[in-house]
Parts: sequence; C-alpha cells; structure tokens
Amino acid sequence: MRTELQFDQEWTNNFLKQIEEDGPWANWELFKLAIEAEQHRAIPSFKGLQAPTYLPDLTPHPYQLEAARRVVEEMNGKAILADEVGLGKTIEAGLIIKEYMIRGLVKKVLILVPASLVSQWAIELNTKFYIPAVVQRKSYVWDQCDVVVSSIDTAKREPHRSIVYEQHYDMVIIDEAHRLKNNRTKNYEFVQHLPKKFCLLLTATPVQNRLDEVFNLVSLLKPGHLGSFENFEKDYKGKEKNAEDEERLRTLIQKVMVRNRREDTGMDWPERIVQTVPITFSPEEEDLYRSVEALKKEPISTRSQFSIITLLREICSSREAAYMTLKKMLEKDSLDEVTQTFIHSLIKKIEGVPTNSKAQKALELIQSIEGKVIIFTEYRATQLYLQWFLKEHGITSVPFRGGFKRGKKDWMRELFKNHAKVLIATEAGGEGINLQFCQHVINYDLPWNPMRIEQRIGRIHRLGQEGDVHIYNFATKHTVEEHILTLLYEKIQLFESVIGQLDEILTRLGMRDIEKHISDILLHSESEGEIKIKMDNIKELINYQKEDSDASRKYS
Amino acid sequence: MHQENIHNYLRSYFLANDCRILHEKPGLLDVQLTIELDKELMNRPFYWHYLEKTGGTPRPMTLTLITNQTIEEKGEFVHFGAPRLHQIFSSTKKLASSIRLYEDVQTNQQQQYPLHPWLCLNIKISYQCDRKKHRLLSLGLHLVSGAVVDDFHNLLLKKSLTPKIPDYAFTVTPIIKPESGLKRLESVVEMLLTKEDVQWAEEARVRWASDQHLLDQFYEGNTNDQRYEVEKEALRKQYEPIITAEIINGGIFHLVPGIESQPYPT
Repeated sequence: MRTELQFDQEWTNNFLKQIEEDGPWANWELFKLAIEAEQHRAIPSFKGLQAPTYLPDLTPHPYQLEAARRVVEEMNGKAILADEVGLGKTIEAGLIIKEYMIRGLVKKVLILVPASLVSQWAIELNTKFYIPAVVQRKSYVWDQCDVVVSSIDTAKREPHRSIVYEQHYDMVIIDEAHRLKNNRTKNYEFVQHLPKKFCLLLTATPVQNRLDEVFNLVSLLKPGHLGSFENFEKDYKGKEKNAEDEERLRTLIQKVMVRNRREDTGMDWPERIVQTVPITFSPEEEDLYRSVEALKKEPISTRSQFSIITLLREICSSREAAYMTLKKMLEKDSLDEVTQTFIHSLIKKIEGVPTNSKAQKALELIQSIEGKVIIFTEYRATQLYLQWFLKEHGITSVPFRGGFKRGKKDWMRELFKNHAKVLIATEAGGEGINLQFCQHVINYDLPWNPMRIEQRIGRIHRLGQEGDVHIYNFATKHTVEEHILTLLYEKIQLFESVIGQLDEILTRLGMRDIEKHISDILLHSESEGEIKIKMDNIKELINYQKEDSDASRKYS
Repeated sequence: MHQENIHNYLRSYFLANDCRILHEKPGLLDVQLTIELDKELMNRPFYWHYLEKTGGTPRPMTLTLITNQTIEEKGEFVHFGAPRLHQIFSSTKKLASSIRLYEDVQTNQQQQYPLHPWLCLNIKISYQCDRKKHRLLSLGLHLVSGAVVDDFHNLLLKKSLTPKIPDYAFTVTPIIKPESGLKRLESVVEMLLTKEDVQWAEEARVRWASDQHLLDQFYEGNTNDQRYEVEKEALRKQYEPIITAEIINGGIFHLVPGIESQPYPT
C-alpha cells in the first residue's frame, strides 16, 4: 500500500506571495542557521531514545532507560508502568513523554494524578524534563496549555468533563492507576471515554486484589488484549487453576507491563532496619481490652452488634479511637438495653484509662531519634490525640490526611521538611507523597493488608533516600497486634522481603483478601493455641510459595 | 550538539539579527538585544504595549547565556534540551523562511557575466506512524533546463553570495515559473519516496490491524458503543502511516552556470 505524501502548502503560498512583492528576503547567515538547527533536530532513525541527549542534568538509571525504550519500541506507547514503589516511575514516564514530544508525535498531554501529587508532577516535569506542564487551576488551562496536570476528580466533573473531551490529547497519563480497578466506577468510565493514542498507567500495585482487576486495568489501556469480559471470565476464572492458562495470561500481561523490582535493578539501595517495639498495657488498658475480647463469648444477639476486631484494634491504638466508635454506636436507635448498658460500661472504662502506654513509648522513641519521624496510624482520633500529646511534651508535629486539599498537602510537606520534627499520617495519607528526606517510620498500628505497609515504607524508601531507613513496628503484647506482627508479618519476613514477590504469592494463593482471612481467624478461634496454629498455617503456605518463587526466579 | 557548537550558533544568531555582543569568553555570551529580538524572545508583550502607549524610551534587555556549566557567573545555562535554544531554533526558522541571492564573482576584467536562476527547497520529510523519523533534503531546480540537483545547500555553502546583484552580473530569465517549479520539486520528492523502503509503513499497518482486531473482539458486535468509536479513532491516530514534507526554507538563487550539467539522476 502506498502512503500518501502531504506537502507543505502554507510555505509555498507564502513564498509565491513574496516573489510577487519582491521580498522581504531573509539574510544568508540566518538562512544557513535555520538549516543547521534542523540538522541537529532531525531524527534519522525510528529506533533509540533521543530524550537523554536533551536532558544533560538528568542521569536516569539503566533500568529506567530500558523501560522507556521498551514502551516506545515494543509496546507502541501504551503501557502499565508498575515498578515497585520508589523506583522512579515518574522518571520513566517523563522520559517517555519527552521522547514523543521531541519526535513530534505528542503535543497535548493530559496527566491525571491524585490531588496530593499534582504540583509535584508539574514541578518535576518542568525542572527535570523541561516539559511545560501546567497545573489545572482555571478552566481556560484545558485548551490553552498543551501539557496539563489535574486530579481525576476535578477532570471528571462538569464543566471540566466536557471541555476535556473536546481536547484532542495525544497522550494520557494516569498515576496511581490501581484506583481504576473497578470498571463500574465513575472514574473508570471517565477514563474509558478518553481517546488514548498513547497512554501510560502508573501503579506500584497492579494486582492488588483479583484477576478481574487486572483485566479492567489492561482493558482500559488496550481493550481486547485480554479478550472480552465474557471470554476472560470463562478462560481464567471459576475453573481450576491451570498452569498453562496462567502462563498464557502472564505472557499477555507482560506485553503491556513494565515491572522493575528493587532486586532486579542491580543498584545499592539503602538498608531497611526493622525493629519491633513491644508495648505493655497498663492495668486499666488491659482491663478495657479484655472486656471487649470477652464479647466474643456473649450470645450472638449482643455479640453481633459489635465489630469486635475493629474495637480491639482501636483500643490498641488509643482510647480516643475506641471511644469514637462506641459513641457512634450509641447514636443508633435500634440498640437493645443490654447492649446499651454494655457500651456505657465500656465508655466508663475508657474514661478510667489514665495514660496511653503506646504514646508514651512513641514519645521516648522520638526523643531518642535525632532526625525526623513519620508516624502512621489508621485512626483519625489517634492522630489528633498524638498531636496533642506530643505538643504537651514540646514536640512539633504536622498532621497529614488523604482528604487534605492539594495545596494543603504540599504545605504540610514543606512544614514537616522545614519546621516540624514529626509528621502524623493516617492511612489515606500514605499514598502519593514523597518524604525521602526522612529516615524513621513508626508503624503506630499495623494495617492488615501487607501491600499497605509497603505503600507506607515506600514513601521514604525510594530514590533520593540517602540514609538507611528505620522502621519501628509497635505491637501491644498479648493482643491482636502481636498476633498479626509476630505470628505473621515477622514470620513471612514481610518487612525485609520484596513486596512484588509477596503480591505475586498472595495472588497465587487466592489470598488477596488476607485482611478478612486474618479477621476470621482472630474472631472465630477458641484459644490462643488455635490462633497460633491457624496463623502458622498461613505462614507455611506463604513461605512455601516464596521458596517456590525464589527457585523459579533463579532459573528464569 | 556540543556545547561549543551551541555557543557558536547563538553568537551567529544574535549577530545575524544585529545584536551587539557586550562580552564574550568561552562558554559565556553577553548580548544586548535589539527591540525586535526582545519582542521575539523575551515574552513581555505588556511591557512593549505599555511603552508604545506611553511613548517611553524602549529598553531592550540584555541576555547572558552560559554554555559551560563550570562558569560561575550569573546567566542562563543553555544546553541541547534547553527551551531557550529551541525557542531560538524556531525563531531562526521563522526569520529565515525565504531568500533571494546572487553569486558574486570576483573578476579582474570589467566583463559582464550571466547568472542562471535556481529554485531551492530545503525539506524535512517526516515518516510517522506510532514512531517517527526524519530525512532532510536539499533540492535545487534549474529554472532554465529543469535539471534537479540534490544536496544543493552544500553546493551553495562553497559559493560567495550576496543579496544585491553584482555590478557586472546579469540574470537570465527563467523559463520555468516559480509556481510550476514548486510543483516539479514536489513530484521529485514523491518520486524519491517511491524508491524508498516501505517496510516501516507495512509493519505499522500490521500493528494497527492487530490492535483493531482486539478492539473488535472486545466490543463483539457492539460497535454502536461510543467508546468503540473513540478507541477506533485513537488507533488510527496512533498507527496510520503518514509522510509529510515540511519546507524548512527555500528561495531563488542566481548562480554562475555549470552545476546543471551534473543533474540528479531522476
């Protein structure tokens, strides 16, 4: 087939007009310079990366360059960038955008990122890549700027939505794309309707849960790559796991996914130094905890009114967290008298708790550390309490939550960097903020999804981190916390191991929902002994798979 | 492009635009911009608008450009990826779009000599699918005989050229008009393209067809879906092979006859 030639008519028309009007004519020096400039700018080959020669101040790592090359040359510009947290996916994305811009294949770029990352993306693209990215703050930005960074929540809402659809984007980039795993959400639908000539989906946890989530992500990028939904269900779900099918699926996914792991990068990473900090309850705290624990033995009618595991976890965190939950329960109308009385007795016990043993320990630890410290907690109430508590002891801290507006997040990060000793973040704040200037993380309470631990640690154990990273895991003795930490996380060496591997293992075991699994064990076991045995079981399974996976890696 | 090349390029650009070099040493260039170049490069339309309204004294800026990073003086570091350099590249192209020159021959005798008209086009061909590459062409068309010469720009570089017709030179009237000359060169480009390897375009069409096939499967006959149309169009934009010929610049050159006897094999 012949390819049509499009000849520059605009120039010829202008030229003929100039002949008619006898000028004005350019000077010979400039004329020669114009040709010289084009000789430098012309790219003689389809292959290879031009971007590095345009970026003398940037020294990408070899695996980042290789990722960019693969996306352009082997994946035709549509890819899931799924490096582990902290390996610099933004650098890879920047290289790819730059490459396409230099070659004149991309002019308009839409970059959708979590609100907390919007300014950071814009700054990085401008300073590291000389890409004039603009943060979407006013609606004229959509059509007047070529490279726009926005949060997906803004872009999908009217009036923006319609304007966005009117733009002809050459490239769409989505950061933290695992949020698009559910194809019934508004965000998914919004992205699905965007024309995606070139497209990058960035995520550190591409297969956080189930197979259909992978399917949704890939189908957003390249519909049909994993077949239609019906066929996919038929081929991979429901029926017995079949090694051949799995291998086929893996091969397909690898065609659209780049995934570098720390261990594959061949670089020296700062060490992770993990330390368990055991906490001993005060008698009052102990009493409160045991009262809730005793609920397990109450008749189902009472027992079912409480989310016992949640309450236990909250008590381990702070009395304030437990109190909030109980107060909310009291607001319900449907409570019977027995339950009400029980709640009141618990609240009374809470009021009788004089100190927070964990907070006390945290204080001691923080005072012994010279540098900055991040505390992660799952509970807002704990966050507020800790801020107050630290202030009482003359320690400045900054709160951080996922719900903060973009500007506030940046501001808090700066405050932390320049003025405060401690940053107290709730879970939702863990994602999408880079804090590599800090070397100490306190896991004040532990999330039960191991992937979330990695997200936390990844905030500081990432490119740019120069010192070793210290992780302190707080666990109260003889509680659910100890179970999860010592019976499971330590045994599977969660903190030291490579998370991509764990992710793979859990998927293979069909244990993506590990949180619920553990919850069930803790709730339905009759004795400590039974808990131990069941947890040991999970541990054995995981470790078995891990050895298996280590072995197969060696040969691959 | 080496840093010294960039330095030389910048100096030539500013000199060609009548700017004064205030200070120069290896790796550093301090330039007094003219009013025109300030407007061209400094992006401050409000200042110039204000000045024209109030009739104040124009103060074009000075620009300190640094091409050697070890220099500690204040200034803008210019490297191959710097937006400033690409702004200047684009400005050069805009300011040097077309030209008319005469060959200057130093003669002892006061003898008249003829100059033949040539149409020159410097062309950037882009081969585009989901990838892109370029090829530069410099073609000259002898407007008397119709002969075509390749690599014309390099021939011109060896000559002494002047914007005004030299005293003892006279021009030969073209037989081919510029307008049909442009058409001829366009067909020459087309002809050159037919001789090229088209494997890249074929491969792109295979990739396109394969993705289109997947898309059809995904929507399984549900092709009324708006999303199907959006994706289909996106695939076309991604893969469709297109060749464009952009004219960098061009012009009429009146030259001493002789070159047309070694024409480009057409």
